[in-house]
Amino acid sequence: MKNSSRHIWEQPWGYREGILIAAGIGLSGLILQLFLGNIHPTLFAAPLNLIIGALFMTGLLAVYLLARKRPLGRWLTSVAATLPALALFLLLSIFLGVIPQFPSGSETALPDNLFTSLGWYRMTTSWPFVLICFYLLLILGLTTLRHTTRKQEWRDIGFYLNHLGLFIALLGGVLGSADMERLTMRVQEGQVEWRGTTATGALKELPLAIQLDSFLLEEYPPKLVVIEHESGRMLPTERPESYMFEGVGKTTDLAGYTVEILEYLPHAAIFSNDSITRVVPMLMEGATAALRVRVTPEGGAAPKEGWVSNGSYLYPHSLLRIDETRSLAMPLQEVKRYTSHVTLYTEEGHTRKSLIEVNHPVMMEEWMIYQYSYDDTMGKYSDTSVFELVRDPWLKVVYTGIFMLLAGALFLFFAGPKKSRS
Amino acid sequence: MSWDQFIYFAMGALLLWGTGAALAYSPARKIISTLFTLGGLMLFFAFIAGLWVSLERPPLRTMGETRLWYSFFLPVAGLLTYLRWNYRWILSFTTILSAVFIMVNLLNPDIHNKVLMPALQSPWFAPHVIIYMFSYAILGAVTLIAIYYLIRGKRIKEPARIMEMTDNLVYAGTACITLGMLMGAIWAKEAWGHYWSWDPKETWAAITWIGYLIYIHYRLKRSSSNKIAMVILIIAFVMLQICWYGVNYLPSAKQSIHTYSS
Repeated sequence: MKNSSRHIWEQPWGYREGILIAAGIGLSGLILQLFLGNIHPTLFAAPLNLIIGALFMTGLLAVYLLARKRPLGRWLTSVAATLPALALFLLLSIFLGVIPQFPSGSETALPDNLFTSLGWYRMTTSWPFVLICFYLLLILGLTTLRHTTRKQEWRDIGFYLNHLGLFIALLGGVLGSADMERLTMRVQEGQVEWRGTTATGALKELPLAIQLDSFLLEEYPPKLVVIEHESGRMLPTERPESYMFEGVGKTTDLAGYTVEILEYLPHAAIFSNDSITRVVPMLMEGATAALRVRVTPEGGAAPKEGWVSNGSYLYPHSLLRIDETRSLAMPLQEVKRYTSHVTLYTEEGHTRKSLIEVNHPVMMEEWMIYQYSYDDTMGKYSDTSVFELVRDPWLKVVYTGIFMLLAGALFLFFAGPKKSRS
Repeated sequence: MSWDQFIYFAMGALLLWGTGAALAYSPARKIISTLFTLGGLMLFFAFIAGLWVSLERPPLRTMGETRLWYSFFLPVAGLLTYLRWNYRWILSFTTILSAVFIMVNLLNPDIHNKVLMPALQSPWFAPHVIIYMFSYAILGAVTLIAIYYLIRGKRIKEPARIMEMTDNLVYAGTACITLGMLMGAIWAKEAWGHYWSWDPKETWAAITWIGYLIYIHYRLKRSSSNKIAMVILIIAFVMLQICWYGVNYLPSAKQSIHTYSS
C-alpha cells in the first residue's frame, strides 16, 4: 500500500477499504443470522429464485451503468476489492470443510452451542456465506462487464471464458439449488412404481413409471482372511492381510499360514450340525460360495483341512478353526457391479427399455434416474432395486458455465500469464 | 507386478533421477541429464503400467497408489521446468521430494487389492485423478521454489525471473486443478446425482482452488510484494495437502462419500 498517507475511505480506495467492506458484509450476515437463523431453502425455490436473480442482475447492471466511471465502480472491479472478498469466502469455506454439516430440512437437533447460532452447522444456507457469495458475484459480474470496454485482444477470450463461465455456473448453482428435486424409489422385480419418496419421507407422484424387469448383482471372487475368534479381528492386527481367490490349486501365505485352495464351489449349500459339515453344489437362490482349503501353520504343525464359506441369507457362514484362538474366514464378497433392467413408461404413453447402473443414469421426462441401492440383506439375491430420481431445471445453466470454465482452464494452461512488459 | 517389486523400480528410478539432477549442475549438455531423467521416468512408469495390468484396474484408488503417480509426476514437472527455464537446481528439488513420497510408499506399503467399487468404474476416474496428481506435482515444485525464494531472501539474483517462472507454473497448475475439479463435478453428476454437494473433499478442492486464485489475482497488482506472493503459495499448498489426504482426519470426514482407501 503505497498511498499510506491517504486517510481511510479517502479515494482511491485500496486493500484497507476492501477488508472493511468484506468484513462489514460478513458482520451484517452474522447479525441477520443471529436474528433470523439459517436461510430457509424455499426462499430460493421457484419463482422466488427467478425474482432474486432478476433483481440481482438489474442491480448489477444499475451499479455498472451508474458507477462505472466513478471511483467506487472502478474500485469494485479491482484486485483490492476482490482479494478480501475471496479471503473471507475462503475462511468460511474452511469452517465448512472442518465442521461436520447437517443437511437442511432434516429435523435432527443441532448441538446446543455457538456454532449453531452462527449457522456453521449449515454453512451453505447461512447468511454470511450467501451474502459473501453474492458480493463475489457482484464483483465478478462488474469486472466482466468492465472488461468489455477495453480494447480487446485474443487473450481476452480466456478472460471471458473464466470470469463469465464462473459467474454463470455460480449464479445458476446458487439460484437453482432449491429447485432441485431428489427422490428415491424402491421397485421389486416384476412391479411397476410411479411414486418417489422425498428426503423427509413424503410420497410424490411422478410423470413416469419404472418397471423392474430384473436386477443383477455381480461380486468379486471370495477372499480369505485369518481372524481371532474372540474379537473377530483380522490378522495381523496392524495390517490385516487377505487373499482373493484366483483358482483351484493355488497356494498363498496368509498371516503366517500357508493356505492351499483345494476346491471351489461358487454355488453351494451347507448343512451342518455339531459334528459334521456337508457342503454340496446347489444351483439355486440362496446358494453361497465355498472354498475347501488346507491350512499349514508355520513350524511344521499338522495341517487343517475343511470348508470355509461366507454364507447367505439362507445359510450361516462357516469358519475353519486353525487352532485354539484363530480361524480362517471368508468375509462377504465385495460388489463389482449391479444393474437394473427396466422398462420406463411416461404419462403420454411412451415406453422405453433401459439398463441402469452406477455411473450410467438414464434421462426420462426431465428426470435423471440413478441406480442407488438394493436390498443388501439379500445381497446378490436381492429382487429389489432402489433408484434415485433427480430433476434439476438449472442444470443447463450451470453446465454452460462449467464448459466455459473448462475451455478457460485449457486457455490458461496454454496461454499462461500475461508477459510483464518491464 | 506387485508392490513387492516396487523397491527395485523405485531405487533404479531414483538413481537415474539423482544422476540426471547431479549432471544438471555440471557443464555437461542439457540433453544428458534430460536422458537420465527420462530413463528414470520410463522405469518408474513401467512399474505403474505393470501394477495397472496386475490389478486389472487403474492404480488410482488408494492413497499409496496416488502417491505413486505423484512421485512420477514430480520429476516430469521438474524436467519441464528445467528444459523451459534452465534452472539447474529444480531437478534435485523434485527428485528429493519424489524420494520422500517413494519412501512413504516403501515404509507403508499398500496391500495388493483388485477391488474397484462401482462408483469408481467410470471413464472419468483416470483423467480426474491423473490430472490432479499432475497439478499437485507442478504446485509442489512451485512450493519448493517459494521456500527457496524465502530462505535465500535478499541473495536471490534474478527475482523477476523467478517470479515469471512461478507465475507460469502456477497458471499451469491452477489450470489443471480447475480441469480436475470440473471433471469431478461432471462425474459426480453421473455417479451421485449432483455436480456439487459440498462433500468435505469437494469443499477442500474449492478452498485449494481459491487459494491459487488469490495468488494469481494478487500478482496482477504491480505493487504486490514477491514475499507475500510466495507466502500465499505455501499456504495454498498446505490447503492442497489437506484436500489430498488431511481431510480424512478432520471432524467433517465422517460424512464424506469421497473415501476409497479402506
